[in-house]
Amino acid sequence: MISAKILSWVTFVYFASFTGYLIGLIRGRDRWARLASWCAAAGLLAHTAALLLRWRESYALGMGHAPLSNLYESLVFFAWAVVFLYLLVEWRTRNRTPGVFVVPVAFLLMAYASISPGVSDRIQPLIPALQSNWLTSHVITCFMGYAAFTVAFGLAILHLIKNRKKPGRNPSRFFALIPDEDDLEELLYQSVLLGFIFLTLGIITGSVWAHYAWGAYWSWDPKETWSLVTWVVYAALLHARFVRGWRGRRLAVLALVGFAAMLFTYLGVNYLPSLHAYM
Amino acid sequence: MGIKRNPVWSFFSSVQLTLVLLAVLAVLAVVGTLVPQQESAQELAKRLSPGTIRILATLQIFDLYHSVWFLLAMGLLTANLVVCSINRFPASWRRFKAEASAEEHLFRDLPPEHTAYVKGTRDEIVTRAEQALHRRYRDVRRTDVSRGPVLHGQKGRITHLGVYAVHLGVLLIIAGGVAGSLFGFDAYVHIGEGETATTADLAGGKGQHSLGFGIRCDRFLIETYENGMPKTYRSDLTFLKDGRPALQGALLVNHPLTFEGIRFYQSSYGQSADGKARLSYSRKGGDRKDEAVTLGESFALPDGEGTVQVLRVEENMMQMGPAVKIGVRSGRGAVQFWVFQEIERIREGNPGLFEQVPLFNPGLFAPYVFSLRGIDARYYTVLKAATDPGVPLVAAGGLFLVAGLLLVFIVDHRRVWVLVEEAKGKVRVAVTGRGLRTSAGLDRELAELIRVFREKGDAQG
Repeated sequence: MISAKILSWVTFVYFASFTGYLIGLIRGRDRWARLASWCAAAGLLAHTAALLLRWRESYALGMGHAPLSNLYESLVFFAWAVVFLYLLVEWRTRNRTPGVFVVPVAFLLMAYASISPGVSDRIQPLIPALQSNWLTSHVITCFMGYAAFTVAFGLAILHLIKNRKKPGRNPSRFFALIPDEDDLEELLYQSVLLGFIFLTLGIITGSVWAHYAWGAYWSWDPKETWSLVTWVVYAALLHARFVRGWRGRRLAVLALVGFAAMLFTYLGVNYLPSLHAYM
Repeated sequence: MGIKRNPVWSFFSSVQLTLVLLAVLAVLAVVGTLVPQQESAQELAKRLSPGTIRILATLQIFDLYHSVWFLLAMGLLTANLVVCSINRFPASWRRFKAEASAEEHLFRDLPPEHTAYVKGTRDEIVTRAEQALHRRYRDVRRTDVSRGPVLHGQKGRITHLGVYAVHLGVLLIIAGGVAGSLFGFDAYVHIGEGETATTADLAGGKGQHSLGFGIRCDRFLIETYENGMPKTYRSDLTFLKDGRPALQGALLVNHPLTFEGIRFYQSSYGQSADGKARLSYSRKGGDRKDEAVTLGESFALPDGEGTVQVLRVEENMMQMGPAVKIGVRSGRGAVQFWVFQEIERIREGNPGLFEQVPLFNPGLFAPYVFSLRGIDARYYTVLKAATDPGVPLVAAGGLFLVAGLLLVFIVDHRRVWVLVEEAKGKVRVAVTGRGLRTSAGLDRELAELIRVFREKGDAQG
């Protein structure tokens, strides 16, 4: 399969991009970060092509379905969504520093997809429960949500770093490249809100699907329950900022908690008995 | 407004309470996924002492999502949501309805790119500014301050109400959930192939429910892909009203059927114990004899040479097709082996198989040779039967939730002011704006607005 080969190369491209962002931040040079951006964009282009190719390959194998059906495909799509949303944020804000913490997540997802022995990259047919048009909308919305939360995670780490700067001391070039704290926070809030909307849509499309497949829109399956936990954590974050006026560090810490809950919803739940376990 | 001083009211109007309740719900949900719930709890119960089980059961740990704790937390959250929304709504409504106020301090310290000197009379420029604003904003007003007329446009006020749509959505979903659990119907129907069921077993062991019609399972079908993964589960059903067929259809996963207001879903399946294996055997060179036996049954070989018992029946044994495992007891002792239906095909594909795996040799009890002519497996299908009057409420709630979130996220309440004043014998235009959120969009909009005046070949300020 050509698509799998392209995807394994994309993994390295994202690693190169991460290295560029890192050097850019450490040496305080925008030139490196700009190179890293181009690298990430090229990777995203190839990534997109590979996803479309894999979609076509599945038709050639006579099972025809969007490449969103098992752990491998979900990891690959998750990484795609992370890079896509990140580049969108970068383009809108013209600041490249968050890349240091966001792009490596995409790299790790891709690396895990291609290296882990438990993750098969074979195109498999769909079991009866997955044979639904809701599969695509459910998976895309969920993972766009996860990706937005991942961007928020990168911003939260940046925020915590910027926060440690001692007042009064001359800021190094390193700190100078990190966006202003208020801008970071606004961006963090926007990312969380975007992720929250996507996760809400993901939960809703999932319940519509469950309503048709199992006759219950909600059945307290661990995946469902954990997605609710994640939803609740981010709902708390939004309320803490909006109504209680939480700022800065506390908000960043909540974004980290939310990211952990999201990761558990995605991967940890596989260790619990669940309809959703990727096996 | 006495109610706002009421201690109960002020307790529920606290956002701190919201945060605590959200945390409590999260913790309960986490516990609920770690501790097996309902039926699955029985496995755990075997490993615990009766005392521990009694305590945990009293705390409703094994049915957490229906427990007092959960209902209490949800109830408190609902009250909290309603009270907070009522408390905060007037302020949001005021922001939503707010008229423009044009204060001069808005125009203090404007960057030069937000001002322009324009040719023409003041009235002409005001008209032009009005037109420019009308193109972008539905709501345009004019106020006169001491420096001159100020035109004010705004859009996106609705964003202030988005959060209430979200809260209404959550309330509708909770209401739908309650309605579903109070008035919903949730049961399972077991039907053997060729049989008709008229009752359903209510979920949670709450007894039986008479359907008032019959459901006949004409056939149950499983298809697998080449790699053995399941491809289709399908029940061909006939719904019988007063003994006569009223609806016929195929029920598949993801394709429910509705009859008399009850929706049926393909839930599960199994094999009936009375499926018969059709075996034949012959003594070397002798006549073939046929037997049809169910699992566990046995038959006697002629002349008291032994008894044959069917120990296992497999629809598809190791991807080699139907097979039964039989045990033969005789004066020579006991022997067990597999008999495959597609023995010839297997033999061709795996030369020397019987030497390697004697257990697969149908002639292991010499001089008899056994063969399998087929398995008359009988499936039973399990349908879930459900009605949920809460679904429309939940669906409406979902719509409100998403619409509200989009209002909050996408729509920005933007206001722009244009001051047209006379300065140094010329007309000077100054623009400024405020958005609810900091965004590059507003700057672009202001830049575009000032360009309207510059494009006409006017002098720059």
